[in-house]
Amino acid sequence: MQIKLSNLSFKYNKKAPFVLNNVSYTFNTGSIYALQGKNGAGKTTLGKLILGLLKPTKGEIYFDDTNAIKISAGKRADSIGYLFQNPDLQLFASTVLEELTFPFELKKELTDEKKNEISTLLEKFHLAGFEKRFPLAMSGGEKQRLALATIMSRNVDFLILDEPTSSIDSKGQSFITSFINDFVGAGGGAIVISHNDEFLSNLQNVTNLNLDGGTIYEKKN
Amino acid sequence: MKKRIDPRVKLLFIILLTTLAVLAKDVIYMSIILVVGIVINLCLKTDILYAIKRLRHFLSILIFIAIVQSLSIKGGRVLIPIGNTALLSTKGLQFSLEFLLRMSIIVVSGLIATSTDGREMIDGLLKLHMPYELAFMTSISLRFIPVFSEEFKTRLNAISMRGIDIKKLSLPKKIRVYAYLISPTISGCIMRSEVLAKSMQVRGFRAHPKRTMLRELKMGILDYTLVLISLLIAAAFLAGMYKHGILVTF
Repeated sequence: MQIKLSNLSFKYNKKAPFVLNNVSYTFNTGSIYALQGKNGAGKTTLGKLILGLLKPTKGEIYFDDTNAIKISAGKRADSIGYLFQNPDLQLFASTVLEELTFPFELKKELTDEKKNEISTLLEKFHLAGFEKRFPLAMSGGEKQRLALATIMSRNVDFLILDEPTSSIDSKGQSFITSFINDFVGAGGGAIVISHNDEFLSNLQNVTNLNLDGGTIYEKKN
Repeated sequence: MKKRIDPRVKLLFIILLTTLAVLAKDVIYMSIILVVGIVINLCLKTDILYAIKRLRHFLSILIFIAIVQSLSIKGGRVLIPIGNTALLSTKGLQFSLEFLLRMSIIVVSGLIATSTDGREMIDGLLKLHMPYELAFMTSISLRFIPVFSEEFKTRLNAISMRGIDIKKLSLPKKIRVYAYLISPTISGCIMRSEVLAKSMQVRGFRAHPKRTMLRELKMGILDYTLVLISLLIAAAFLAGMYKHGILVTF
């Protein structure tokens, strides 16, 4: 999969300055893109634009050759997963299991095969035995692993991770590092928004990007 | 003009407009009160269009209720008949218009409060001898409306990120999704209010019984003139409504 930004510009309202100004860049699967930039540079805004949570002021986003304007946010989520900086905001069910099954149940897609996949995910994200726990009462690392499991339940091609290390300890950091490396090694793509240089240095096959003045620059290693 | 008017005068505008809106039961009088409310907002440079945009869902609910009322209340001359029954009558139309105007006046008068920052509003309430805790609570509760709305919007985004297209869901499924969101949204707001309460405590809230203000509010000639004019106009409205028998009686 390829996410192509073509002359993408965005501002929050008519009077506000452009957060992103004429950005053109292509993200490919098989790579990790470490996106850095000052606070307020537009990193999260870029993520939200790719996901369809915001509409570009100017320019286009293409998923492979399809203009993303025609694809709803719900549909985009089938191929792109987004991990919020604060996982609390993406959990809403009353149990861990319900958190994973709810979207499929709603769409009448909760087959036996899906149930097995969910059991495997619980194991993979060290959440087996947590099925009846209340998600919002879990620790920061557990909540993040659950949020990741909900993303991976949809077999996405691309991940956008917004400050994934902001609320986890070193053990959690090493888990997320190997998770991202494995995901990209298996053919996925990842955009990692982070200020944590130590964490980024442990990721493999990384393209370092800097978002500054509304434009993306590729940093030389 | 925006900064020069004392918040107490703005509070008076709000009280008078909402009182008149509740007491009036005539479309023409209510339309005039609404226009007065809009003019006050324009003078205070309130961004009415932005507010309407933010409140569009609430306003569409009001319009829906008004339509239901106009069709369900019968009486007076039949305006739109269906066979032998009246679909729309003058009484139903009048009732729904009054409801819509009354709610619009309340919304428009509420917008007046947005032309003053929270700090000034607290000062104004304190000058009206409201206890500091209550004045602060009033200001904080107003501050939490956009917080609540933002929290709900973020969670709706989180639902979309699960591959659920809310717009395409059937009504029962939509209701189920919204029901899912209510509990975490409220708990999120409660958590934020707890953080706020703790941060207030560490900053010494209520540590000293007597507070002093950095900037004391003082009513100027303009403020007193506006108070006098607004009271006179409100009294004239009430007298006019009483004379024409269009004052709501309890």
